[in-house]
Amino acid sequence: MKRYDLIIIGAGPSGLSAAIEAGKRGMSVIVFDENERPGGQLFKQIHKFFGSKEHKAKIRGFVIGQQLLDEASKAGVEVKLSATVVGIYPDREVVVKIGDGVEHYKGDAIIVATGAAENMVTFDGWTLPGVIGAGAAQTMMNLHGVKPGKRVLMLGSGNVGLVVSFQLMQAGCEVVALVDAAPRVGGYGVHAAKVARTGVPFYLSHTIVKAEGTNHVTGVTIAEVDSHFQFIPGTEKHFDVDTICLAVGLSPMSQLLKMAGCQMDNSGKGGGQIPVVDESGATSVPGIYAVGDVAGIEEASSAMIEGRMAGIKAAEYLGFEEVKTGDEEFEKEVSALDELRQGMFAPSNRGKKIEKTEEGIPISENLLKHGFVADDEIERFPGVTHKVGIHPVMECTQNIPCNPCQDACSKHCIHIGSHITALPAVEEDRDCVNCGMCVASCSGQAIFLVDEDTGNGHAEVTIPYEFLPLPKEGDTGKGLSRSGQPICDAKVVRVRTSKAFDHTALVTIEVPQDMAMKARFYKAV
Amino acid sequence: MKTADVIICGAGIIGCAAAYYTAKKGKSVIVIDADEIIGNGGSSRNGGGVRQSGRDPRELPLAMYGVKNIWPHLSEELGVDVEYHQDGNLRLGRNDRHQKILEGLTERAVAVGLDVKMIDGDEVRSINPWLAEDVTCASWCPTDGHANPLKATLAFFKAARRLGVTFYSGEKVLSLKKEKGVLRYVVTDHDTYSAEKVIVACGYESRAILQTVGIDVPMTKDLIECLVTEAEPPMFSQMLGTADADFYGHQTNHGSFVFGGASGYEAQNLDFGCMTTHSATAPAICRGILKWIPRLREAKIVRTWSGYEDVCADGVPVIDAIDEVPGLIVACAFTGHGFGISPVVGQLLSQLACDEETMLDLSELRYDRFKACV
Amino acid sequence: MRIDRSKDLGPCLPKEGDDRIICRCEEVTQGEIRQAVHDGMFTLAEVRRYLRCGMGLCQGQTCGKLVARIMAQELGVPVSEIAPASSRSPMRPIEMATWAEEKEGGEV
Repeated sequence: MKRYDLIIIGAGPSGLSAAIEAGKRGMSVIVFDENERPGGQLFKQIHKFFGSKEHKAKIRGFVIGQQLLDEASKAGVEVKLSATVVGIYPDREVVVKIGDGVEHYKGDAIIVATGAAENMVTFDGWTLPGVIGAGAAQTMMNLHGVKPGKRVLMLGSGNVGLVVSFQLMQAGCEVVALVDAAPRVGGYGVHAAKVARTGVPFYLSHTIVKAEGTNHVTGVTIAEVDSHFQFIPGTEKHFDVDTICLAVGLSPMSQLLKMAGCQMDNSGKGGGQIPVVDESGATSVPGIYAVGDVAGIEEASSAMIEGRMAGIKAAEYLGFEEVKTGDEEFEKEVSALDELRQGMFAPSNRGKKIEKTEEGIPISENLLKHGFVADDEIERFPGVTHKVGIHPVMECTQNIPCNPCQDACSKHCIHIGSHITALPAVEEDRDCVNCGMCVASCSGQAIFLVDEDTGNGHAEVTIPYEFLPLPKEGDTGKGLSRSGQPICDAKVVRVRTSKAFDHTALVTIEVPQDMAMKARFYKAV
Repeated sequence: MKTADVIICGAGIIGCAAAYYTAKKGKSVIVIDADEIIGNGGSSRNGGGVRQSGRDPRELPLAMYGVKNIWPHLSEELGVDVEYHQDGNLRLGRNDRHQKILEGLTERAVAVGLDVKMIDGDEVRSINPWLAEDVTCASWCPTDGHANPLKATLAFFKAARRLGVTFYSGEKVLSLKKEKGVLRYVVTDHDTYSAEKVIVACGYESRAILQTVGIDVPMTKDLIECLVTEAEPPMFSQMLGTADADFYGHQTNHGSFVFGGASGYEAQNLDFGCMTTHSATAPAICRGILKWIPRLREAKIVRTWSGYEDVCADGVPVIDAIDEVPGLIVACAFTGHGFGISPVVGQLLSQLACDEETMLDLSELRYDRFKACV
Repeated sequence: MRIDRSKDLGPCLPKEGDDRIICRCEEVTQGEIRQAVHDGMFTLAEVRRYLRCGMGLCQGQTCGKLVARIMAQELGVPVSEIAPASSRSPMRPIEMATWAEEKEGGEV
């Protein structure tokens, strides 16, 4: 039997992070993953991540995946792909299908980082081809370069539904509607806003009545639901679509842990059946840990920290790390994780209706109901100020753990402070030099550079732009409002790309002066 | 305190069948089982064989009675398709040693009146063309068959429930208690019940319960394993086994194959306090199967499981009304062959519970038959 | 947890969506699941064994939660009270020939 100090199951963000910490400490580590490529969901994530520098903020997911792989390789970790774990047997034996046979391994410790699978909801026609998970759509687009469809309806307004809607449009699909049975948008407001401003209508308190079609989806009917999630007759709306994407949550793939005899928790708090774990991910079975989504659905940033924590603790458990040093390192990760779990979307706030920001500002109700901040709401947030000349406008209205914009501005125009969830505020006495770094650094694409008066009754608005083909200087089109409605003529006066912007182009449009605080997207006509 | 004419400890197929037939005779019945899930022991973990061949002559009359009188009409009676097929049992051999084993079994079965015979390799393949070319012989019992143990167990449960039987699952029987020399009470972790008759049919767990009234049945428990494949096109409908017992099983109505087998370490394997599977067993079962049915190489296994056999010291169950403890009826230690005879055992238990004369002689299956070997 | 199988669930009246397939692998409908509960199958394991839902290729990864929700509704209990099915190897379907082929110790 081949024995390793540590066997890790799943080469996603948490598994690789655990492997790096254990490998660095001299443990023999092998990581099994059933996929052909490592990285779990990371290589599908083409958007920039939120967080702080320590959380790899503003780096795109697939780049983080590559960084983790490089670090793991440096730490001497073996990563075995197309290696499907068949089961965890007594005495921490792991049987793995590799090629045309099975191999037996034993680990002095095992870290299970198998992630999660997509939930489904049922409605008439839900088994028709063309009804797919949002994650599956992402795999098709971002890993295999295949467009999932031409016209798509997205069900689910959590971060997955929002992010994938945006990516569908980036891939060239038309998103006809974003629908959620809940009365409020579930994901980050900035993700919603960047979808809404392209013109995608949001239907909250709506869900799917039926998918239509005989051999494939050809249409979908949605309807409004009441507070008991019952359809309200007469509110039906029909869309011609060939694809329905479901982004209705994830379920931990915790079966291996259950098979291994770990005590499980079925209360539903982790998105499904999860193992009972302590702070380090240790399960009830000595030497078996669980990290990442399998231990409760969260996100990649927290999964990476959980992975590091379990890696450190596994090293301590097996004597590869002094308890004192290990505990110090561990505590740093605990603080990092605490930081990520702050703000309006903190796990502790799940299900709560939040009325005001930490600063005491009433939140944007329109953002929650329609996906964009209304014109009469935007002025109350500290990132939105007016001054002569060019200046940043930060339409960041919810307390989320993210602060790259603060460091992006070398002129210190942007202030968040040490409290990472604070709303970014404009330092009015500082002068913006129009470098554009803040615009490109904002993972939520919520920062704009505005010159409210360039003379001749015009204003200029610089917007982050991540669609191809890029507009060209001199192009004319329409300026779109936050809700995606064409509100004025717009002329492209400048298009900036730079390695430092990391594939976010900065498009500057000239609009009528009174549209300076209203036009937030550009559409060629 | 709740009262019933008959209390049955154990909601496996024996308990459920006994409950059904007893309620059918007009008795009030309560069934209590420590497991939350009905039939979660051997009843839903066995290979589904409804065999007469290969059985010990002491229990063979039960098997023959069931195959003749009960199984053919069971689906109709219970209102659930229990997927009974009477398409024969092939016990396969590929060498002289196998031939000798099979001939011995066949001789003993013929002696007690069972229609079973030896056939050669070509005949075997004329019955089941998927079997390997090197199969040289088999014992063939055309009246054997198989059924779906999951559905049969739940069918008895459903039918018994419909007749008004009360079932409490997830309630553990702690002890039995006599009153004035007669068994009267069943004490659980929830309540105490009283009854005229108490049937104990809890597999190996019967032992601890029976000991509370000073009765013991000499048995051990072995953890054995089965597996099931995805659905395949229909290939054959016989029950299969081998002289060396390296695998057994059949194809179900659904198309999946259910096979059991062994690594050879079943008696020694640790069970870690639960019905765990062992890493060596499934590969061993696969190799066993592929030696005999090479065509199944590509069939995908979707699930494996294990279950305890309550193995009796002399290989046949105890089915008896206990003289020493009036009111106590026992049915346990089925040694892995309980499923096929469960309907007939259910009927016999209902007769014992109603103080009727049993339709078959049970004297060879008495609780006090165990004697020292010297 | 103690389960009394005599709990009165009332009649099993037809309901919107009864024809809808819930378990795609084994093509089990909502109506069949509801009827099974009314027939006494109060645990997920029993419903699986009785109807085969969750016993197919995906082993219930997709329908497990959906079935549990339907059962909870019929039984009038929170869905957290419906215990998930047991987990068993193989975690993914595996060909018989592959599982039969045990490679020594893990060296490739």
